[in-house]
Amino acid sequence: MSLRTIRLYARAMFLAFEMTLRQNFTDMFVLFGIFVQPLIIALLAFWMLQERGSDYIIFVVVGSGMTGLWTTVLFSSGSNITRERWTGTLELLVGAPVPIQVVIFGKNLADVLQSLGSMLLSYTLAILIFGQIPEIIQPELFAVSLMIAVISYVCFGLIVSPVFVMNPNVQRLQNGLEFPIYILSGFLFPIALLPNWTTPLSYILAPYWAARALHATSSGGADFKEIALTWGMMILFSLVYLIASGKLFKTLLYKARVEASLLRQ
Amino acid sequence: MIKKLSLNLRLFFEGALLSYIALFHWLRPAQYLATKVWGPLVYMLFFVFLGKFATGQDNTSFYVIGNAIQSVALSGIYGVSMSIDGDRWDGTLPYLFGAPANRMTVFVGRSFMHIIDGVLGAVIGLTWGVLLLGLDLSHSDPFALGLTILITTFSTSGLGLLLGCLGLITRNVMFVNNTVFFLLLVFSGANVEIQTLPAWAQVISQALPLTRGIAAARQIIAGESLSHVLPLLAVEFSIGVGYVFLGYTLFRWFELIAKKRGTLEAI
Amino acid sequence: MNTIEVCNLRRVYKTGIGVIRRKVKEVVAVEDISFDVQPGELFGLLGPNGAGKTTTVKMLTTLLIPTSGTARILGMDIVKGAREIQAQIGFVFGGERGLYWRLSGYDNLRYFSSLYLVDPEVAQKRIPYLLEMVGLEERGQEKVEGYSRGMKQRLHVARTLLHDPTVLFLDEPTMGLDPVGARELRQVIRNLQSEKKTILLTTHYMFEADSLCQRIAVIDKGRIIALDTPEGLKGHVRDLSVIEFEVYGVPSGILEKLRAQPYVDTVSVENRDQKQALLIHSPRGSEAVPDLLKSMDGLRVGNVVVREPTLEDAYVRLVGGKV
Repeated sequence: MSLRTIRLYARAMFLAFEMTLRQNFTDMFVLFGIFVQPLIIALLAFWMLQERGSDYIIFVVVGSGMTGLWTTVLFSSGSNITRERWTGTLELLVGAPVPIQVVIFGKNLADVLQSLGSMLLSYTLAILIFGQIPEIIQPELFAVSLMIAVISYVCFGLIVSPVFVMNPNVQRLQNGLEFPIYILSGFLFPIALLPNWTTPLSYILAPYWAARALHATSSGGADFKEIALTWGMMILFSLVYLIASGKLFKTLLYKARVEASLLRQ
Repeated sequence: MIKKLSLNLRLFFEGALLSYIALFHWLRPAQYLATKVWGPLVYMLFFVFLGKFATGQDNTSFYVIGNAIQSVALSGIYGVSMSIDGDRWDGTLPYLFGAPANRMTVFVGRSFMHIIDGVLGAVIGLTWGVLLLGLDLSHSDPFALGLTILITTFSTSGLGLLLGCLGLITRNVMFVNNTVFFLLLVFSGANVEIQTLPAWAQVISQALPLTRGIAAARQIIAGESLSHVLPLLAVEFSIGVGYVFLGYTLFRWFELIAKKRGTLEAI
Repeated sequence: MNTIEVCNLRRVYKTGIGVIRRKVKEVVAVEDISFDVQPGELFGLLGPNGAGKTTTVKMLTTLLIPTSGTARILGMDIVKGAREIQAQIGFVFGGERGLYWRLSGYDNLRYFSSLYLVDPEVAQKRIPYLLEMVGLEERGQEKVEGYSRGMKQRLHVARTLLHDPTVLFLDEPTMGLDPVGARELRQVIRNLQSEKKTILLTTHYMFEADSLCQRIAVIDKGRIIALDTPEGLKGHVRDLSVIEFEVYGVPSGILEKLRAQPYVDTVSVENRDQKQALLIHSPRGSEAVPDLLKSMDGLRVGNVVVREPTLEDAYVRLVGGKV
């Protein structure tokens, strides 16, 4: 693949990113999941956890942001391909020279980055309610963890969206996948509270490792070895997701072009 | 007089039957199970664990009861308001305006099924509580509990009716529904003692449905008698009536404006 | 080398019927289609709804893979060479969908140009040019949701030209357009052809096929039932060309004299009140009128009406209706 091709692929991804941001801007349904819901969860968690002291403010900010990230990947990114089908633009994507994964990656990236805005909002909300600025214990490590987390969520979205568009029945169950991940990933409470048999389930979830990294670097209490472990796990999962998504998209194109089951409804 | 009454009764039951069919046509079995059985369970588990983290082990039933009763809002808010706005999306709204029948009767008839559905949801929630989380219902008066659930579902449906009518003049009805549902989670006392909230928040709590219903349910399960919680239930019921009235007024006003402006679909 | 070569293309759809016990039903959308399109040609696919036109176009534009048969576009196989083909062809299926409503026309084009791997500098110049070409230069910054049906269709055409493809596939491009819009779009299509682009057009508007296409394939039930120039197709229904002379009295011998002419197929007489009508079938159509008049020298002739067979007549007869 020539440098020129890579450059043009990158441009397509960037424009998919830009157009998704623009379209999300006016989509109330998407905005709810990205902003309103995490904010309300933050508010509730602030009040529920206030007895635990002011150290927990940053915990709630980060944790509620993570719930927003997951909800976004599940609902917004998950429906990215399905939405293209509704607007009748899926066949344009299938028929265009740029690989469809590049486009979907750009869209997912836009969703995830937008969702980080909710973390910013709950941070502001915390300042307003409690009148103090919550402190991030290890800011540089937090920033790196955040970047790796974003990549792993985007890659996960690359699995969810083809699965959902190929199996509408699975998509209908998406409501039921929201809170269980909140629970198993330890977004707003440590998984030590859960029964032991659920721990392996937590370990195979990338969001769990993301939450562990982000909580450790913001609320503190972990040495670098542990943080590096979480980074390693997230990167590993991202690679797994990328490889799996390659196969899934191949199947998607097969279904679209051979079975003709995905284009115009 | 009798004719009007029988006409209204007929409308009521037709509305109820229609919404019953619509409910089960729209939600396929898998989705219905996911929403009615699995959904409330995971909400409950989340808040039980969050509550454990926040305060301590012995408070599990606080969160279980809170969220089980809270689940009536799923039908009361979403179900009821969508049954009004369903007309809007199907394009049958103008026919409703044009019909000589009492619109409100139709709407109330439609809400009826959702009230039954909502009660069922709360029962499922409490059952999960008993099966998995050690909820002890042995001290509760079943009639009192049932009445509490019914009244709370009714009052939440009143809010749902208001939201449904609001939904007729805005394009973003799901956004409003979602926001209200989640706000109820916060302000209804399902997951946090109302007394610990700041003053302004407590005011909101008192103006909303669910708050007193949840409080009453907690007291009944702790062993209190019906007469003890009757004042709470009475206020809860009146709040429901109040919201129904508000919704009705809004609807009539909207009808008037639409007819004056000549636009039957507002947006 | 022909630009488009289609060889025994076949496409079968499998659908499931029934909810409880699903049976698989096979629907043959395209039975057996073969044809070639020459470089720079404007080729038409004509046929009733459900004939297989759109399915054929979808196969040729790499959106569907045929069940059997092959096709080559610019020498490349539609299955194996799909990605290369995609960069050189453009297609329009049109309609209300296929555009991003929340974005402006300009942004839609900008986005699609990146999907087609058009160099940014090239795109920047080409987009305003295309908007002007389809008459949308004033409304380019508005959101597509505010566009009329015709405007959306025109934006589709602009989109398809972003990467300057050599081959264009237009599926019912003027459907749903008002007469003025349709006429303007047809002129755009003619202009494109004069730029040496090869165009495959599907339509069920007869006069559109007649006026635009150099050759037409008539498709019915997944097969090509005729392939010729418009004139050639109309030749199938020469017998429909009728010249009607209003005369006052038919003297004896005139019918035989007319029938003797080499360019006359049949002659018949109809009585109409106090006049008669001579109905003459001739493949020369209206061109035969002066000679016929000469043959009818001496007759008092009133009205002369010529009815030429149209492509629609040919089509209807080919597809099985009675003319």
